Amino acid sequence: MEQRVAEMTGRIVEEVASCGIKLVASLPDTWIADLIEAFDRDQRFIHVPVNREESAIGLCSGAFFGGTGALALMGASGLMTCVYALTKVNYTYQIPLLICITLRGSLGDQAKYHVSNGLYLLPLMDSLSMPYVIVDNPDKVALISKAYGHSRVLCRPVVVGFTRSVLRGER
Amino acid sequence: MRFRECFEFLSGRRTHGFVITSAGNCSEMWWEVTHETEGVFYLEASMSLASMFGAGLALGVPQIPVWVFTGDGAFCMNPGMLMVERQLNPPNLKHFLVSNRCYGSTYEVRLPNAPANDYAAMARAMGIERVYHFDSLEDLKGNFDAAVLGPGHSFVVLEVEPVGKKLKEPPIEGPEMKYLFGRSVERAAGVRIFDE
Repeated sequence: MEQRVAEMTGRIVEEVASCGIKLVASLPDTWIADLIEAFDRDQRFIHVPVNREESAIGLCSGAFFGGTGALALMGASGLMTCVYALTKVNYTYQIPLLICITLRGSLGDQAKYHVSNGLYLLPLMDSLSMPYVIVDNPDKVALISKAYGHSRVLCRPVVVGFTRSVLRGER
Repeated sequence: MRFRECFEFLSGRRTHGFVITSAGNCSEMWWEVTHETEGVFYLEASMSLASMFGAGLALGVPQIPVWVFTGDGAFCMNPGMLMVERQLNPPNLKHFLVSNRCYGSTYEVRLPNAPANDYAAMARAMGIERVYHFDSLEDLKGNFDAAVLGPGHSFVVLEVEPVGKKLKEPPIEGPEMKYLFGRSVERAAGVRIFDE
């Protein structure tokens, strides 16, 4: 199990690195604790733990203007708190941003306090016309690069959502 | 000190570098005083994220000063920004907290706990080493070099009077702001921002 998680974490980190991303701003969710640690250890990245998810949006948006590729990494609940920042900063000024989230509340999540994410996360992104892709199979990790590229073409945020099974390295 | 006089002095001392201004009075006053479009990002569509935005920029242009002006209304919404700033500690980031103890852009409605908030103490408590507090123009003028031109990240509290009137917003729409600022960074810092 730990070996599978480590392999999957490594694949995600490599895919992010292949995009030219240097800055990773994160706030944890239990599903991505290993991933956050991996970014923190990897010298190719400046990993910044932030005080709240909106700060990650601000930091990564500013990084765009310094020519620094950036990733905001957070849980589903975190994204739900970012509607204001995303619609104001990224939509108003058309600033691209890659956001990776957990798909908390989805099928198989036993945590009752994430039910609201299961109900509203995807409809919320739809309502904001915010493109997202779901990585529910290890073979879909390459979607991270495509999402990053798409955000730059679209000049808006694009979200990559990970299922728990993928983050655990399961097929 | 008077808000306008404070910004007139600061803009007069700016020789190069980038400026990020938070929503409301900071953006409006900087625009009124300077009418600058080169190297200034009027982050009007944001509450409390100007310093994070500036920190992200500062990382990519370490040789160029980045001045961020945050209103205390914005600061109160996200004081934890200082934790992130301290952690990053970008030596070229100078964060000015413009404190008028009210929400300047919404008819100067009073801030929560307004008289008691000690922003400089909050910054020190989060480990920021170079913290300055000025409530007079003379004091600001006398210590400007140490506070702003010295090396290292600094947090500068500027106690100003409420403006007393609604100022004009900078007449620059979102996408125009993006390209004006981005192109100015590309020219000044030699970094590539926009895809060819």
